[in-house]
Amino acid sequence: MSTRTTTPAARISSSAGSRGVTFAGVLRSEWIKLWSLMSTRILLLLTLAAIVGVGALAVLIRYTYLDEIARNAREQGQTMTPEMMEQSFPPGSGFELYNLPNAGLQIGILVLGSLAVLFISSEYATGMIRSTMNAVPRRTPAFAAKAIILVVISYVITTLAGAATFLIAMPVFQGIGFDLDWSTDGVLYSISTGGLYVAGVALIGLSLGTLLRNSAGGITVLVGIFFVLSIAASFLTLIPGEFWKYVPQYIPSEAGGRFLSIGHTDGVIDPWQGGLLFLGYVLLFLVPAMILLKKRDV
Amino acid sequence: MIEARDLAKVYGGKTAVAGVSFTVRAGQVTGFLGPNGAGKSTTMRMIMGLDRPTSGSVTVNGRPYADHKAPLHEVGALLDAKAVHTSRSAYNHLLAMAATHGIPKARVHEVIEMTGLEAVARKKAGGFSLGMGQRLGIAAALLGDPQTLILDEPVNGLDPEGVLWVRNLVRYLANQGKTIFLSSHLMSEMAQTADHLIVIGRGRIIADAPVKGIIAGTRQARTLVRTDAAAHLSRLLARDGVTVDQSEPEALTVTGLDPRGIAQVALANGVLVYELTPQMSSLEDAYFDLTKDEVEYHSHLTGGPAAAARETAPATAGKYGR
Repeated sequence: MSTRTTTPAARISSSAGSRGVTFAGVLRSEWIKLWSLMSTRILLLLTLAAIVGVGALAVLIRYTYLDEIARNAREQGQTMTPEMMEQSFPPGSGFELYNLPNAGLQIGILVLGSLAVLFISSEYATGMIRSTMNAVPRRTPAFAAKAIILVVISYVITTLAGAATFLIAMPVFQGIGFDLDWSTDGVLYSISTGGLYVAGVALIGLSLGTLLRNSAGGITVLVGIFFVLSIAASFLTLIPGEFWKYVPQYIPSEAGGRFLSIGHTDGVIDPWQGGLLFLGYVLLFLVPAMILLKKRDV
Repeated sequence: MIEARDLAKVYGGKTAVAGVSFTVRAGQVTGFLGPNGAGKSTTMRMIMGLDRPTSGSVTVNGRPYADHKAPLHEVGALLDAKAVHTSRSAYNHLLAMAATHGIPKARVHEVIEMTGLEAVARKKAGGFSLGMGQRLGIAAALLGDPQTLILDEPVNGLDPEGVLWVRNLVRYLANQGKTIFLSSHLMSEMAQTADHLIVIGRGRIIADAPVKGIIAGTRQARTLVRTDAAAHLSRLLARDGVTVDQSEPEALTVTGLDPRGIAQVALANGVLVYELTPQMSSLEDAYFDLTKDEVEYHSHLTGGPAAAARETAPATAGKYGR
């Protein structure tokens, strides 16, 4: 410890520096926090592998299906062009090939969303949040830094995994005559929107962790919103009447999912509307979380 | 400098801190003393902006903690030794905190060295003993080389060498002109470390005075007298303002008359006195006197901890009183 005078100007000793809190510093701090946990690093690597793995599985299933159709057609003396094969799918069946990069997206939603909950709920669980708030007593910058890091990480991992999935899919489908490459309509769009969608899920996860301050509770609610709710909503379509068939598309997972597809379908919201609706859901969680974070005792 | 004005905190109808006002000055160690549940930690959390006061205000070095541009350089706090992510190493914990203020890595190594954590700095903080956790908390508090240091029970769980280290550290920092605000339930520790005491009980300030003043001011000087004729001397001494308690067959405790006065009475009446010892009033005595009505959680087995401890206080008075 160096000796020094008590006049304010000369107060800070050189060894501790004299800078105040900067947002860049808070970002760096949150980055160190994320990467200094071995569990996070392993989890992120496994997530990347899992999204690609599930995507590759989906590629295999579709390939097998298409290959069988083509073989059956040949046996009956017909030739089936890839265009005909593609048209044989019912619309909205999820068999559009441009969507292949997002085949493993559910894994990303589950793992990255949970990681986002834990990014702040684990601080409440361990007491670390008090150290965080001591260093950044305005609180909002720490939350914003966590949000930015989660958005970047979710986006990068999801788009990397999507691109990797597509790299696996491309030669497979080209091999059976499909005209599928990076320039195919919707491919780049679905890769980049897939990243945005998972980033949005991560923001909802971070908000849930902040609101509930509990890891198990936050992850449970997240799974409830993105998995249980869509199953529950699918039961609504069983109710007689046209009305109920159009309700499920407004839940977060369906609206977000719609954002990833291209083209207009009658009776279904357009992709951009789905995207906006999903953004609304993100804000619905994010804004109260930021307000309560600022107000509540820690 | 810490200034609290009518600071109050109510948790769901229960008053934790009931409008306290006090000033913690620079250049000295101010002790914050009070029974469990008296409001010490709540007050410290409000100073650090972790808890929002129900009413009143508190400033550190002239403004609310959150309004400082470089809060870690203004105030270092050890409020809860477990304010650390259990899976993160001590080094990375300090590095993450330092990053917010652009504090260089060299300073992180410096506080690790200062607190004697070199050997465990790369280990997960979750595996730390209570004492190591306290050292890490103190390291974090010192990180920004702050002007004001707030330590809640810093010696809790430390070994004797660690206790001595904390005592020397805070005394050194106070001599450097820094503001030190220290809570402890160890009155012996306070007597040796603090210059000034703020005593709190049930959310109210009971005393706010120099340590010496609190020891001297709360209890009248007592004298232990051993004599062959205790009952006789007791009658001779009895007059207005003098109380005499007979604790043993040949021992009296006299309050309200100094040893010289007692000796004169004995000499004039030909009573043999073979011991005449002034009883040092201890901080412990003073503390129990101050807080006897303020202890929130009484133990009913022995008639309350204050009463039980007070009976043994004279025996330990010499140890703490000097």
